[in-house]
Amino acid sequence: MLIRDILEESETSYSDIKAVRWLKKKEILEESYSELMAHVRATRKGLLAEGFQGSHIALIGASCVEWIESYLGIVTGKNVAVPLDAGLPCEDLTDLINRSDSEALFLGPKQGAFLEDILAGCPKLRKIWILQAEEPGHADERVLSVASLVAAGENSDADSDRPDYEDVATIIYTSGTTGKSKGVMLTQGNLAENVKAVNYWREPGTVMLSVLPIHHAFCLVMDWLKGFSLGATLCINDSLLHMVKNMAVFQPDVMLMVPLMLETIYKKLSAAGPLIPKKLLASKVFGGNLKIIFTGGAHLDPFYIDKFADYGVEVLEGYGMSECSPVISCNLPGDYKAGSIGRPLSNVELAFENGEILVRGSSVMQGYYKMPEETAETLKDGWLHTGDKGYLDEDGFLFINGRVKNLIILSNGENVSPEEIENKLALGKLVGEVIVTGENNGLTARIYPDQDVVASKHMNEEKIQRELQAFLDKYNKNQPGYRQITGLVVRKNPFIKSSTRKIKRQEILIDEPITE
Amino acid sequence: MTKEMQFKTIVAQYCEVEPENITNEMRFREDLGFSSLDFMSFLGELEDTFDVELEEEDLVQVLTVAEALELMERLQEEA
Repeated sequence: MLIRDILEESETSYSDIKAVRWLKKKEILEESYSELMAHVRATRKGLLAEGFQGSHIALIGASCVEWIESYLGIVTGKNVAVPLDAGLPCEDLTDLINRSDSEALFLGPKQGAFLEDILAGCPKLRKIWILQAEEPGHADERVLSVASLVAAGENSDADSDRPDYEDVATIIYTSGTTGKSKGVMLTQGNLAENVKAVNYWREPGTVMLSVLPIHHAFCLVMDWLKGFSLGATLCINDSLLHMVKNMAVFQPDVMLMVPLMLETIYKKLSAAGPLIPKKLLASKVFGGNLKIIFTGGAHLDPFYIDKFADYGVEVLEGYGMSECSPVISCNLPGDYKAGSIGRPLSNVELAFENGEILVRGSSVMQGYYKMPEETAETLKDGWLHTGDKGYLDEDGFLFINGRVKNLIILSNGENVSPEEIENKLALGKLVGEVIVTGENNGLTARIYPDQDVVASKHMNEEKIQRELQAFLDKYNKNQPGYRQITGLVVRKNPFIKSSTRKIKRQEILIDEPITE
Repeated sequence: MTKEMQFKTIVAQYCEVEPENITNEMRFREDLGFSSLDFMSFLGELEDTFDVELEEEDLVQVLTVAEALELMERLQEEA
Protein backbone atom coordinates (compact mmCIF):
# COMPACT_ATOMS: atom_id res chain seq x y z
CA MET A 1 0.00 0.00 0.00
CA LEU A 2 1.33 3.44 -1.02
CA ILE A 3 0.16 6.95 -0.21
CA ARG A 4 -0.93 7.14 -3.83
CA ASP A 5 -3.12 4.05 -3.40
CA ILE A 6 -4.79 5.55 -0.35
CA LEU A 7 -5.50 8.81 -2.15
CA GLU A 8 -6.77 7.14 -5.30
CA GLU A 9 -9.13 4.97 -3.25
CA SER A 10 -10.48 8.09 -1.58
CA GLU A 11 -10.86 9.82 -4.93
CA THR A 12 -12.96 6.90 -6.16
CA SER A 13 -15.06 6.53 -3.02
CA TYR A 14 -15.52 10.16 -2.01
CA SER A 15 -15.11 12.13 -5.24
CA ASP A 16 -17.88 14.67 -4.50
CA ILE A 17 -17.15 15.06 -0.78
CA LYS A 18 -15.21 18.19 0.14
CA ALA A 19 -11.60 17.30 0.85
CA VAL A 20 -10.26 20.71 1.92
CA ARG A 21 -11.91 23.86 3.23
CA TRP A 22 -10.08 27.12 3.96
CA LEU A 23 -10.57 30.82 4.53
CA LYS A 24 -9.75 33.61 2.12
CA LYS A 25 -10.31 36.75 4.16
CA LYS A 26 -13.75 35.93 5.59
CA GLU A 27 -14.96 33.74 2.73
CA ILE A 28 -14.87 29.94 3.08
CA LEU A 29 -13.47 28.20 0.00
CA GLU A 30 -13.44 24.46 -0.58
CA GLU A 31 -12.53 21.75 -3.06
CA SER A 32 -13.75 18.17 -3.49
CA TYR A 33 -11.67 15.01 -3.53
CA SER A 34 -11.84 14.90 -7.33
CA GLU A 35 -10.68 18.54 -7.57
CA LEU A 36 -7.89 17.95 -5.05
CA MET A 37 -6.65 14.88 -6.88
CA ALA A 38 -6.77 16.66 -10.24
CA HIS A 39 -4.38 19.26 -8.80
CA VAL A 40 -2.19 16.58 -7.21
CA ARG A 41 -1.94 14.74 -10.51
CA ALA A 42 -1.16 17.94 -12.40
CA THR A 43 1.58 18.83 -9.89
CA ARG A 44 3.09 15.36 -10.21
CA LYS A 45 3.03 15.51 -14.01
CA GLY A 46 4.38 19.04 -13.92
CA LEU A 47 7.35 17.91 -11.82
CA LEU A 48 8.04 15.14 -14.33
CA ALA A 49 7.76 17.59 -17.24
CA GLU A 50 10.29 19.83 -15.49
CA GLY A 51 12.70 16.90 -15.21
CA PHE A 52 12.26 16.08 -11.52
CA GLN A 53 12.35 12.32 -11.00
CA GLY A 54 13.96 10.83 -7.91
CA SER A 55 14.66 14.38 -6.73
CA HIS A 56 14.46 15.85 -3.26
CA ILE A 57 12.04 18.77 -3.16
CA ALA A 58 11.65 21.05 -0.15
CA LEU A 59 8.52 22.86 1.05
CA ILE A 60 8.51 25.93 3.28
CA GLY A 61 5.24 27.57 4.22
CA ALA A 62 2.22 27.63 6.46
CA SER A 63 -0.70 25.23 5.93
CA CYS A 64 -2.54 26.05 2.73
CA VAL A 65 -4.23 24.04 0.03
CA GLU A 66 -1.35 24.66 -2.38
CA TRP A 67 1.12 23.29 0.20
CA ILE A 68 -0.71 19.99 0.64
CA GLU A 69 -1.36 19.59 -3.10
CA SER A 70 2.33 20.16 -3.78
CA TYR A 71 3.36 17.72 -1.04
CA LEU A 72 1.07 15.05 -2.45
CA GLY A 73 2.24 15.81 -5.99
CA ILE A 74 5.77 15.03 -4.83
CA VAL A 75 5.12 11.85 -2.82
CA THR A 76 2.67 10.26 -5.25
CA GLY A 77 5.43 10.27 -7.86
CA LYS A 78 9.04 9.18 -7.58
CA ASN A 79 10.27 12.27 -5.74
CA VAL A 80 11.06 12.87 -2.06
CA ALA A 81 9.33 15.66 -0.11
CA VAL A 82 11.32 17.63 2.46
CA PRO A 83 8.90 19.72 4.55
CA LEU A 84 10.71 22.39 6.55
CA ASP A 85 9.66 24.59 9.46
CA ALA A 86 8.70 27.97 8.00
CA GLY A 87 9.38 29.59 11.37
CA LEU A 88 13.10 28.86 11.31
CA PRO A 89 15.61 31.61 10.63
CA CYS A 90 16.64 31.86 6.97
CA GLU A 91 20.19 30.66 7.65
CA ASP A 92 18.82 27.42 9.16
CA LEU A 93 16.50 26.92 6.20
CA THR A 94 19.24 27.37 3.62
CA ASP A 95 21.38 24.92 5.60
CA LEU A 96 18.57 22.33 5.59
CA ILE A 97 17.82 22.83 1.87
CA ASN A 98 21.50 22.16 1.17
CA ARG A 99 21.92 19.29 3.63
CA SER A 100 18.81 17.56 2.24
CA ASP A 101 20.18 17.92 -1.32
CA SER A 102 16.93 19.55 -2.41
CA GLU A 103 16.81 20.45 -6.09
CA ALA A 104 13.56 22.41 -6.00
CA LEU A 105 11.52 24.33 -3.48
CA PHE A 106 7.89 25.25 -2.89
CA LEU A 107 7.89 28.51 -0.94
CA GLY A 108 4.96 30.18 0.85
CA PRO A 109 4.22 33.77 -0.21
CA LYS A 110 4.76 34.95 3.38
CA GLN A 111 8.31 33.61 3.25
CA GLY A 112 9.13 35.82 0.27
CA ALA A 113 11.67 37.72 2.39
CA PHE A 114 13.84 34.58 2.38
CA LEU A 115 13.90 34.28 -1.38
CA GLU A 116 17.06 36.21 -2.21
CA ASP A 117 19.13 34.52 0.51
CA ILE A 118 17.86 31.11 -0.57
CA LEU A 119 18.70 31.80 -4.21
CA ALA A 120 22.18 32.94 -3.21
CA GLY A 121 22.80 30.21 -0.63
CA CYS A 122 21.32 27.13 -2.32
CA PRO A 123 23.00 26.67 -5.68
CA LYS A 124 21.50 23.19 -6.24
CA LEU A 125 17.96 24.59 -6.51
CA ARG A 126 16.79 24.45 -10.10
CA LYS A 127 13.29 25.80 -9.46
CA ILE A 128 11.42 27.70 -6.78
CA TRP A 129 7.63 27.74 -7.00
CA ILE A 130 5.84 30.32 -4.91
CA LEU A 131 2.62 28.88 -3.43
CA GLN A 132 0.31 31.37 -5.14
CA ALA A 133 -1.65 31.75 -8.36
CA GLU A 134 -0.05 35.02 -9.51
CA GLU A 135 3.32 34.99 -11.25
CA PRO A 136 5.90 36.54 -8.91
CA GLY A 137 7.58 38.39 -11.81
CA HIS A 138 11.05 37.71 -10.44
CA ALA A 139 14.16 38.50 -12.45
CA ASP A 140 15.55 35.01 -11.81
CA GLU A 141 13.85 32.65 -14.25
CA ARG A 142 13.99 29.83 -11.70
CA VAL A 143 11.30 31.58 -9.64
CA LEU A 144 7.73 30.93 -10.78
CA SER A 145 4.25 30.49 -9.34
CA VAL A 146 2.96 27.05 -8.38
CA ALA A 147 0.07 27.73 -10.77
CA SER A 148 2.54 27.61 -13.67
CA LEU A 149 3.72 24.16 -12.56
CA VAL A 150 0.14 22.88 -12.30
CA ALA A 151 -0.64 24.33 -15.74
CA ALA A 152 2.44 22.61 -17.20
CA GLY A 153 1.22 19.33 -15.69
CA GLU A 154 -2.29 19.77 -17.05
CA ASN A 155 -0.82 20.18 -20.53
CA SER A 156 1.43 17.15 -20.26
CA ASP A 157 0.42 13.56 -21.10
CA ALA A 158 3.26 11.78 -19.34
CA ASP A 159 2.65 10.76 -15.73
CA SER A 160 5.21 9.63 -13.21
CA ASP A 161 5.60 5.93 -12.42
CA ARG A 162 4.24 4.72 -9.12
CA PRO A 163 6.87 4.74 -6.40
CA ASP A 164 7.90 1.48 -4.75
CA TYR A 165 6.89 0.52 -1.21
CA GLU A 166 10.52 0.80 -0.07
CA ASP A 167 11.19 4.18 -1.72
CA VAL A 168 11.84 7.10 0.61
CA ALA A 169 8.78 9.37 0.38
CA THR A 170 9.72 12.11 2.77
CA ILE A 171 12.54 13.47 4.91
CA ILE A 172 11.39 15.20 8.09
CA TYR A 173 13.87 17.18 10.15
CA THR A 174 13.86 16.72 13.89
CA SER A 175 15.96 18.13 16.71
CA GLY A 176 19.20 16.30 17.31
CA THR A 177 20.88 15.88 20.68
CA THR A 178 24.20 16.84 19.14
CA GLY A 179 22.83 20.25 18.25
CA LYS A 180 22.34 19.44 14.56
CA SER A 181 18.88 18.56 13.31
CA LYS A 182 18.51 15.14 11.69
CA GLY A 183 16.59 14.21 8.54
CA VAL A 184 14.28 11.28 9.29
CA MET A 185 13.83 9.17 6.14
CA LEU A 186 10.34 7.67 5.88
CA THR A 187 9.32 5.39 3.04
CA GLN A 188 6.05 5.11 1.19
CA GLY A 189 5.36 1.97 3.19
CA ASN A 190 6.25 3.59 6.53
CA LEU A 191 3.68 6.37 6.02
CA ALA A 192 0.92 4.23 4.52
CA GLU A 193 1.24 1.58 7.24
CA ASN A 194 0.97 4.22 9.96
CA VAL A 195 -2.16 5.65 8.35
CA LYS A 196 -3.75 2.22 8.22
CA ALA A 197 -2.62 1.08 11.68
CA VAL A 198 -4.25 3.95 13.58
CA ASN A 199 -7.51 2.14 13.96
CA TYR A 200 -10.32 4.62 14.12
CA TRP A 201 -13.13 5.37 11.76
CA ARG A 202 -15.43 8.31 11.16
CA GLU A 203 -18.18 8.84 8.61
CA PRO A 204 -16.91 10.20 5.28
CA GLY A 205 -17.37 13.96 5.26
CA THR A 206 -16.50 14.21 8.95
CA VAL A 207 -14.96 17.63 9.56
CA MET A 208 -11.42 17.95 10.90
CA LEU A 209 -9.72 21.26 11.69
CA SER A 210 -5.96 21.15 11.24
CA VAL A 211 -4.21 23.50 13.67
CA LEU A 212 -0.74 21.97 14.02
CA PRO A 213 2.27 22.99 11.90
CA ILE A 214 1.97 21.06 8.65
CA HIS A 215 5.68 20.18 8.43
CA HIS A 216 5.35 18.01 11.56
CA ALA A 217 4.87 14.28 11.07
CA PHE A 218 1.94 14.21 13.53
CA CYS A 219 0.00 16.82 11.56
CA LEU A 220 1.04 15.65 8.12
CA VAL A 221 0.24 11.99 8.66
CA MET A 222 -2.58 12.02 11.21
CA ASP A 223 -4.49 15.12 10.11
CA TRP A 224 -3.92 15.06 6.40
CA LEU A 225 -3.10 11.55 5.24
CA LYS A 226 -5.31 9.80 7.80
CA GLY A 227 -8.07 12.34 7.24
CA PHE A 228 -7.93 11.83 3.47
CA SER A 229 -8.01 8.05 3.94
CA LEU A 230 -11.31 8.46 5.84
CA GLY A 231 -12.87 10.80 3.32
CA ALA A 232 -12.81 13.60 5.88
CA THR A 233 -13.07 17.30 5.12
CA LEU A 234 -9.84 18.93 6.29
CA CYS A 235 -10.21 22.56 7.30
CA ILE A 236 -7.18 24.82 7.47
CA ASN A 237 -6.59 27.06 10.46
CA ASP A 238 -5.12 30.19 8.88
CA SER A 239 -3.25 31.29 12.03
CA LEU A 240 -2.84 30.29 15.65
CA LEU A 241 -4.22 33.75 16.37
CA HIS A 242 -7.57 32.49 15.15
CA MET A 243 -7.62 28.90 16.40
CA VAL A 244 -10.52 29.35 18.80
CA LYS A 245 -12.45 31.54 16.38
CA ASN A 246 -11.92 29.03 13.56
CA MET A 247 -13.33 26.22 15.68
CA ALA A 248 -16.57 28.17 15.67
CA VAL A 249 -16.27 28.89 11.93
CA PHE A 250 -15.56 25.32 10.74
CA GLN A 251 -17.36 23.38 13.53
CA PRO A 252 -15.05 20.36 13.48
CA ASP A 253 -15.90 16.85 14.74
CA VAL A 254 -12.28 15.82 15.27
CA MET A 255 -9.09 17.75 15.98
CA LEU A 256 -5.46 16.93 16.63
CA MET A 257 -3.79 19.07 19.25
CA VAL A 258 -0.70 19.30 21.35
CA PRO A 259 -1.19 19.65 25.13
CA LEU A 260 -0.41 23.37 25.01
CA MET A 261 -3.57 23.93 22.98
CA LEU A 262 -5.73 22.11 25.49
CA GLU A 263 -4.21 24.21 28.25
CA THR A 264 -5.02 27.47 26.44
CA ILE A 265 -8.56 26.39 25.55
CA TYR A 266 -9.15 25.33 29.12
CA LYS A 267 -8.15 28.80 30.30
CA LYS A 268 -10.79 30.21 27.98
CA LEU A 269 -13.42 27.80 29.30
CA SER A 270 -12.53 28.57 32.92
CA ALA A 271 -12.54 32.33 32.37
CA ALA A 272 -16.21 32.17 31.41
CA GLY A 273 -17.15 31.49 35.03
CA PRO A 274 -19.59 28.95 36.49
CA LEU A 275 -22.82 30.72 35.56
CA ILE A 276 -22.74 29.90 31.84
CA PRO A 277 -24.11 26.40 31.11
CA LYS A 278 -21.36 24.02 29.95
CA LYS A 279 -23.27 22.95 26.86
CA LEU A 280 -23.67 26.53 25.71
CA LEU A 281 -20.03 27.32 26.43
CA ALA A 282 -18.84 24.18 24.61
CA SER A 283 -20.89 25.17 21.60
CA LYS A 284 -19.39 28.69 21.65
CA VAL A 285 -15.77 27.61 22.14
CA PHE A 286 -15.66 24.28 20.24
CA GLY A 287 -18.13 25.09 17.48
CA GLY A 288 -20.83 22.69 18.65
CA ASN A 289 -19.77 19.44 16.95
CA LEU A 290 -16.42 18.56 18.50
CA LYS A 291 -16.36 14.98 19.78
CA ILE A 292 -12.72 13.93 19.76
CA ILE A 293 -9.36 15.58 20.35
CA PHE A 294 -6.35 13.40 19.65
CA THR A 295 -3.33 14.72 21.47
CA GLY A 296 0.33 13.87 21.33
CA GLY A 297 3.80 15.32 21.10
CA ALA A 298 4.17 15.87 24.84
CA HIS A 299 2.74 14.61 28.09
CA LEU A 300 -0.82 15.69 28.86
CA ASP A 301 -1.92 16.12 32.45
CA PRO A 302 -4.92 13.71 32.84
CA PHE A 303 -6.70 16.59 34.60
CA TYR A 304 -7.60 17.93 31.15
CA ILE A 305 -9.15 14.63 30.04
CA ASP A 306 -11.74 14.85 32.82
CA LYS A 307 -12.31 18.56 32.36
CA PHE A 308 -12.92 18.29 28.62
CA ALA A 309 -15.22 15.31 29.18
CA ASP A 310 -17.45 17.69 31.16
CA TYR A 311 -17.90 19.62 27.92
CA GLY A 312 -18.67 16.47 25.90
CA VAL A 313 -15.24 16.20 24.28
CA GLU A 314 -13.21 13.01 24.46
CA VAL A 315 -9.46 13.64 24.73
CA LEU A 316 -7.39 10.69 23.51
CA GLU A 317 -3.66 10.76 24.10
CA GLY A 318 -1.17 9.02 21.87
CA TYR A 319 2.56 8.67 21.57
CA GLY A 320 4.94 8.81 18.69
CA MET A 321 7.97 10.36 17.10
CA SER A 322 8.90 11.35 13.57
CA GLU A 323 11.15 8.28 13.41
CA CYS A 324 8.01 6.08 13.63
CA SER A 325 5.93 7.90 11.00
CA PRO A 326 4.94 9.03 13.77
CA VAL A 327 2.34 7.11 15.85
CA ILE A 328 3.55 4.27 18.09
CA SER A 329 0.58 3.92 20.43
CA CYS A 330 -2.76 5.62 20.78
CA ASN A 331 -5.85 5.68 22.94
CA LEU A 332 -8.92 5.16 20.79
CA PRO A 333 -12.65 5.77 21.20
CA GLY A 334 -13.91 2.93 23.37
CA ASP A 335 -10.42 1.62 24.07
CA TYR A 336 -8.52 3.98 26.34
CA LYS A 337 -7.02 4.40 29.76
CA ALA A 338 -6.48 7.88 31.18
CA GLY A 339 -2.85 8.66 31.96
CA SER A 340 -1.63 6.06 29.47
CA ILE A 341 -0.59 6.72 25.90
CA GLY A 342 -2.73 3.89 24.61
CA ARG A 343 -2.05 0.46 23.24
CA PRO A 344 0.75 -0.03 20.69
CA LEU A 345 -0.44 -0.03 17.08
CA SER A 346 -0.93 -3.41 15.39
CA ASN A 347 2.16 -2.94 13.21
CA VAL A 348 4.39 -2.13 16.19
CA GLU A 349 6.43 -4.44 18.39
CA LEU A 350 7.78 -3.09 21.67
CA ALA A 351 10.71 -4.09 23.85
CA PHE A 352 12.35 -2.44 26.85
CA GLU A 353 16.05 -2.04 27.53
CA ASN A 354 16.89 -0.66 30.97
CA GLY A 355 13.43 0.90 30.93
CA GLU A 356 13.89 2.55 27.51
CA ILE A 357 11.13 1.89 25.00
CA LEU A 358 12.37 0.19 21.83
CA VAL A 359 10.17 -0.04 18.74
CA ARG A 360 10.25 -2.31 15.72
CA GLY A 361 7.75 -2.44 12.88
CA SER A 362 6.70 -1.35 9.44
CA SER A 363 6.50 2.35 10.35
CA VAL A 364 10.05 2.64 11.68
CA MET A 365 12.28 4.95 9.61
CA GLN A 366 15.10 3.89 7.35
CA GLY A 367 17.59 6.13 9.14
CA TYR A 368 18.77 9.73 9.28
CA TYR A 369 19.71 11.24 5.93
CA LYS A 370 23.49 11.18 5.49
CA MET A 371 24.05 10.67 9.22
CA PRO A 372 25.26 7.07 9.57
CA GLU A 373 26.60 7.50 13.10
CA GLU A 374 23.40 8.97 14.47
CA THR A 375 21.43 6.28 12.62
CA ALA A 376 23.55 3.52 14.16
CA GLU A 377 23.05 5.00 17.63
CA THR A 378 19.27 5.07 17.23
CA LEU A 379 18.55 1.99 15.09
CA LYS A 380 20.14 -1.17 16.45
CA ASP A 381 19.28 -4.57 14.94
CA GLY A 382 16.05 -3.11 13.58
CA TRP A 383 14.99 -1.70 16.96
CA LEU A 384 14.46 2.02 17.26
CA HIS A 385 15.67 3.44 20.57
CA THR A 386 13.07 6.06 21.42
CA GLY A 387 14.94 7.85 24.22
CA ASP A 388 11.80 7.57 26.37
CA LYS A 389 11.41 5.35 29.38
CA GLY A 390 8.16 3.52 29.93
CA TYR A 391 6.30 0.31 30.65
CA LEU A 392 3.26 -1.69 29.56
CA ASP A 393 0.60 -2.33 32.19
CA GLU A 394 -1.25 -5.61 32.66
CA ASP A 395 -3.91 -4.55 30.12
CA GLY A 396 -1.36 -3.72 27.43
CA PHE A 397 -1.50 0.08 27.75
CA LEU A 398 1.77 1.96 27.43
CA PHE A 399 2.93 4.49 30.02
CA ILE A 400 5.89 6.91 29.88
CA ASN A 401 7.87 7.65 33.00
CA GLY A 402 11.09 9.38 31.95
CA ARG A 403 13.60 10.44 29.30
CA VAL A 404 16.95 9.04 28.32
CA LYS A 405 18.01 11.63 25.77
CA ASN A 406 18.84 15.22 26.53
CA LEU A 407 15.94 16.81 24.67
CA ILE A 408 13.48 19.30 26.13
CA ILE A 409 9.88 18.39 25.27
CA LEU A 410 7.59 21.42 25.47
CA SER A 411 3.84 21.09 25.80
CA ASN A 412 3.42 22.38 22.25
CA GLY A 413 5.05 19.12 21.18
CA GLU A 414 8.25 20.73 19.99
CA ASN A 415 11.44 18.89 20.87
CA VAL A 416 14.17 21.35 21.58
CA SER A 417 17.83 20.48 21.60
CA PRO A 418 19.41 22.65 24.31
CA GLU A 419 22.84 22.34 22.72
CA GLU A 420 21.57 23.83 19.47
CA ILE A 421 20.48 26.99 21.31
CA GLU A 422 23.45 27.08 23.68
CA ASN A 423 25.80 27.14 20.68
CA LYS A 424 24.08 30.30 19.45
CA LEU A 425 23.86 32.00 22.84
CA ALA A 426 27.51 31.27 23.54
CA LEU A 427 28.37 33.78 20.80
CA GLY A 428 27.26 36.65 23.07
CA LYS A 429 30.25 38.63 24.33
CA LEU A 430 28.97 38.71 27.88
CA VAL A 431 28.11 34.99 27.88
CA GLY A 432 30.83 32.99 29.59
CA GLU A 433 28.99 29.69 30.08
CA VAL A 434 25.40 28.88 29.22
CA ILE A 435 22.99 26.02 29.77
CA VAL A 436 19.41 25.97 28.49
CA THR A 437 16.80 24.15 30.55
CA GLY A 438 13.06 23.55 30.17
CA GLU A 439 11.26 25.23 33.06
CA ASN A 440 7.64 26.31 33.51
CA ASN A 441 6.91 25.03 30.00
CA GLY A 442 9.37 27.44 28.45
CA LEU A 443 13.11 27.69 28.00
CA THR A 444 15.38 29.24 30.58
CA ALA A 445 18.95 30.30 29.86
CA ARG A 446 21.28 29.94 32.85
CA ILE A 447 24.26 32.11 32.11
CA TYR A 448 27.53 32.60 33.92
CA PRO A 449 28.81 35.93 32.61
CA ASP A 450 32.25 36.25 31.06
CA GLN A 451 34.25 37.63 33.98
CA ASP A 452 36.79 39.42 31.77
CA VAL A 453 34.00 41.43 30.13
CA VAL A 454 32.39 42.15 33.51
CA ALA A 455 35.70 43.41 34.91
CA SER A 456 36.72 45.49 31.90
CA LYS A 457 33.31 47.25 31.75
CA HIS A 458 32.98 47.58 35.54
CA MET A 459 29.52 45.99 35.37
CA ASN A 460 27.30 45.59 38.42
CA GLU A 461 24.62 42.89 38.81
CA GLU A 462 21.83 45.08 37.50
CA LYS A 463 23.75 46.03 34.38
CA ILE A 464 24.71 42.40 33.70
CA GLN A 465 21.06 41.34 34.02
CA ARG A 466 19.92 44.16 31.73
CA GLU A 467 22.51 43.50 29.03
CA LEU A 468 21.93 39.74 29.05
CA GLN A 469 18.14 40.26 28.82
CA ALA A 470 18.65 42.64 25.90
CA PHE A 471 20.87 40.03 24.24
CA LEU A 472 18.17 37.35 24.72
CA ASP A 473 15.43 39.65 23.41
CA LYS A 474 17.51 40.20 20.28
CA TYR A 475 18.09 36.47 19.88
CA ASN A 476 14.36 35.74 20.40
CA LYS A 477 13.27 38.08 17.62
CA ASN A 478 14.82 35.83 15.02
CA GLN A 479 13.50 32.54 16.42
CA PRO A 480 10.25 30.57 16.22
CA GLY A 481 8.25 30.73 19.48
CA TYR A 482 9.34 27.32 20.73
CA ARG A 483 13.03 28.25 20.56
CA GLN A 484 12.65 31.57 22.37
CA ILE A 485 14.17 31.98 25.82
CA THR A 486 11.56 33.08 28.33
CA GLY A 487 13.59 32.84 31.53
CA LEU A 488 17.03 34.14 32.49
CA VAL A 489 19.09 33.15 35.49
CA VAL A 490 22.40 34.97 35.89
CA ARG A 491 24.70 32.64 37.76
CA LYS A 492 27.09 33.84 40.37
CA ASN A 493 29.25 30.74 40.08
CA PRO A 494 30.63 28.81 37.11
CA PHE A 495 28.87 25.50 36.35
CA ILE A 496 30.16 22.31 37.92
CA LYS A 497 32.29 20.50 35.35
CA SER A 498 33.43 16.94 34.72
CA SER A 499 37.09 15.94 34.52
CA THR A 500 36.92 16.59 30.75
CA ARG A 501 35.77 20.18 31.49
CA LYS A 502 32.24 19.50 30.23
CA ILE A 503 29.39 21.06 32.19
CA LYS A 504 27.57 18.41 34.22
CA ARG A 505 23.98 18.92 33.09
CA GLN A 506 22.46 16.82 35.84
CA GLU A 507 24.08 19.08 38.44
CA ILE A 508 23.26 22.52 37.07
CA LEU A 509 20.49 23.21 39.57
CA ILE A 510 22.41 22.16 42.66
CA ASP A 511 23.77 25.53 43.70
CA GLU A 512 21.26 27.77 41.90
CA PRO A 513 17.79 26.25 41.88
CA ILE A 514 14.93 26.18 39.43
CA THR A 515 13.09 29.43 38.61
CA GLU A 516 9.64 30.09 40.08
CA MET B 1 -14.80 50.55 31.12
CA THR B 2 -11.76 52.25 29.60
CA LYS B 3 -10.12 50.70 26.59
CA GLU B 4 -7.07 49.91 28.70
CA MET B 5 -9.13 48.14 31.35
CA GLN B 6 -11.05 46.24 28.66
CA PHE B 7 -7.68 45.15 27.30
CA LYS B 8 -6.43 44.08 30.73
CA THR B 9 -9.61 42.12 31.39
CA ILE B 10 -8.79 40.00 28.35
CA VAL B 11 -5.19 39.62 29.57
CA ALA B 12 -6.49 38.41 32.94
CA GLN B 13 -8.33 35.50 31.27
CA TYR B 14 -4.98 33.91 30.55
CA CYS B 15 -3.24 34.44 33.87
CA GLU B 16 -3.90 34.45 37.57
CA VAL B 17 -3.55 38.23 37.96
CA GLU B 18 -6.52 40.54 38.48
CA PRO B 19 -6.96 43.21 35.75
CA GLU B 20 -6.28 46.07 38.19
CA ASN B 21 -2.98 44.49 39.22
CA ILE B 22 -1.67 44.21 35.66
CA THR B 23 0.86 46.98 35.05
CA ASN B 24 2.07 48.19 31.70
CA GLU B 25 5.67 47.13 32.35
CA MET B 26 4.73 43.48 32.84
CA ARG B 27 6.13 41.03 30.29
CA PHE B 28 3.60 38.52 28.95
CA ARG B 29 5.82 35.45 29.03
CA GLU B 30 8.04 36.10 32.03
CA ASP B 31 5.77 38.05 34.41
CA LEU B 32 2.28 36.90 33.48
CA GLY B 33 3.16 33.29 32.61
CA PHE B 34 1.62 33.34 29.14
CA SER B 35 2.49 30.35 26.95
CA SER B 36 3.29 31.12 23.32
CA LEU B 37 -0.20 29.96 22.37
CA ASP B 38 -1.91 31.92 25.15
CA PHE B 39 -0.24 34.96 23.64
CA MET B 40 -1.44 34.18 20.11
CA SER B 41 -4.94 33.37 21.28
CA PHE B 42 -5.04 36.56 23.35
CA LEU B 43 -4.02 38.67 20.35
CA GLY B 44 -6.66 36.92 18.25
CA GLU B 45 -9.22 38.07 20.80
CA LEU B 46 -7.90 41.62 20.61
CA GLU B 47 -8.51 41.54 16.86
CA ASP B 48 -12.17 40.78 17.41
CA THR B 49 -12.68 43.08 20.38
CA PHE B 50 -10.97 46.14 18.93
CA ASP B 51 -11.60 45.40 15.24
CA VAL B 52 -7.97 45.39 14.12
CA GLU B 53 -5.94 42.98 12.00
CA LEU B 54 -2.66 41.65 13.31
CA GLU B 55 0.09 39.93 11.36
CA GLU B 56 2.05 37.19 13.10
CA GLU B 57 5.22 38.97 11.98
CA ASP B 58 4.31 42.05 14.07
CA LEU B 59 4.18 40.04 17.23
CA VAL B 60 7.88 39.40 17.74
CA GLN B 61 8.19 43.06 18.68
CA VAL B 62 5.68 42.72 21.50
CA LEU B 63 7.03 41.66 24.87
CA THR B 64 5.20 43.84 27.41
CA VAL B 65 1.62 44.94 28.12
CA ALA B 66 2.57 48.49 27.11
CA GLU B 67 3.93 47.31 23.75
CA ALA B 68 0.74 45.37 23.02
CA LEU B 69 -1.38 48.39 23.94
CA GLU B 70 0.72 50.63 21.72
CA LEU B 71 0.47 48.20 18.79
CA MET B 72 -3.27 47.98 19.16
CA GLU B 73 -3.71 51.74 19.34
CA ARG B 74 -1.50 52.22 16.28
CA LEU B 75 -3.51 49.66 14.31
CA GLN B 76 -6.78 51.30 15.34
CA GLU B 77 -5.50 54.66 14.16
CA GLU B 78 -4.37 53.20 10.84
CA ALA B 79 -7.71 51.43 10.29
